[in-house]
Amino acid sequence: MRKTFRIVFIGLLVSQALALYSVESMIPVPFIAPGAKLGLANLITVVALYTLDSKRDVFLVIILRLFLSTMIGGSLSTFMYSVAGAIFSYCAMIFVKEFFKDKVSIIGVSAAGAFFHNVGQLIVASAIVENIAIMLYLPILSIAGIGTGIFIGVTANFIVKHLSKLHYFRNLT
Amino acid sequence: MFKKWDIIIIISLLCLSFTPELVFGVMMGKNYNGTYAEVTLDGKPYKKVLLSEHRGEDEIEVKTEYGYNTIEIKDTSIRIIDSDCPDKICVKAGFISKPGDLLVCLPHKLMIEIKSNDNEKDTDIIPMH
Repeated sequence: MRKTFRIVFIGLLVSQALALYSVESMIPVPFIAPGAKLGLANLITVVALYTLDSKRDVFLVIILRLFLSTMIGGSLSTFMYSVAGAIFSYCAMIFVKEFFKDKVSIIGVSAAGAFFHNVGQLIVASAIVENIAIMLYLPILSIAGIGTGIFIGVTANFIVKHLSKLHYFRNLT
Repeated sequence: MFKKWDIIIIISLLCLSFTPELVFGVMMGKNYNGTYAEVTLDGKPYKKVLLSEHRGEDEIEVKTEYGYNTIEIKDTSIRIIDSDCPDKICVKAGFISKPGDLLVCLPHKLMIEIKSNDNEKDTDIIPMH
């Protein structure tokens, strides 16, 4: 992957994530559980994980997206939740992807990411209100989260399949 | 599109999401809303008796250098049934069961205090007089 291509591609991914983020904020929350949302921006994280060569670049995409989406429409508290969620889900996705390698598809990786995103957010929430009982909220959030995670995984599967037709991504699996 | 390990991961994540529920369930089951009697001798903790789950009758013999006290636990209340102290105030006090209640046998330096794990919620101390 050449240097210019890498920079442009990271920029594209970040801008796509931001577009998805702002579109998502217009959709009314379709779940009963407050705090649950589609997490469309996670789609870009998963795609980045499968298309970019180095893990550092994936992390760069995530962090850039977090900062910029906070500047577009967010507050410091949503930023804190998002950072914890994003770092947790990043580690979980890397772990699942590296540990199971070919045995697991994008769907499993994305579901694990969604789950640990919720875990990270709830840890921050319970640290803020200083009450660990917030973690009791996890099942509701994570069932919704795993559901959207599977959905995101299916979508990312299609994207990666089509991206692999481009000659830049010949080495994709 | 789905692989075998995807399903395994998803199912195990779903199970994992119920662990806080289980952990809290165990913790709550142990000491939620529980009252217990704390027996202290000369200011030092001697024994703890769980009261809120107690059924039936039990007797505890406490022997000190000053004499003896026999403590009876009946269901969720506790009293001193017998003592060889001179004034027998502790025996006359009868049963106690509410958090904050006290039984004292001053000659033997024995004290029984009922405490609750969530005592901030259910004991309203209203100063009289």
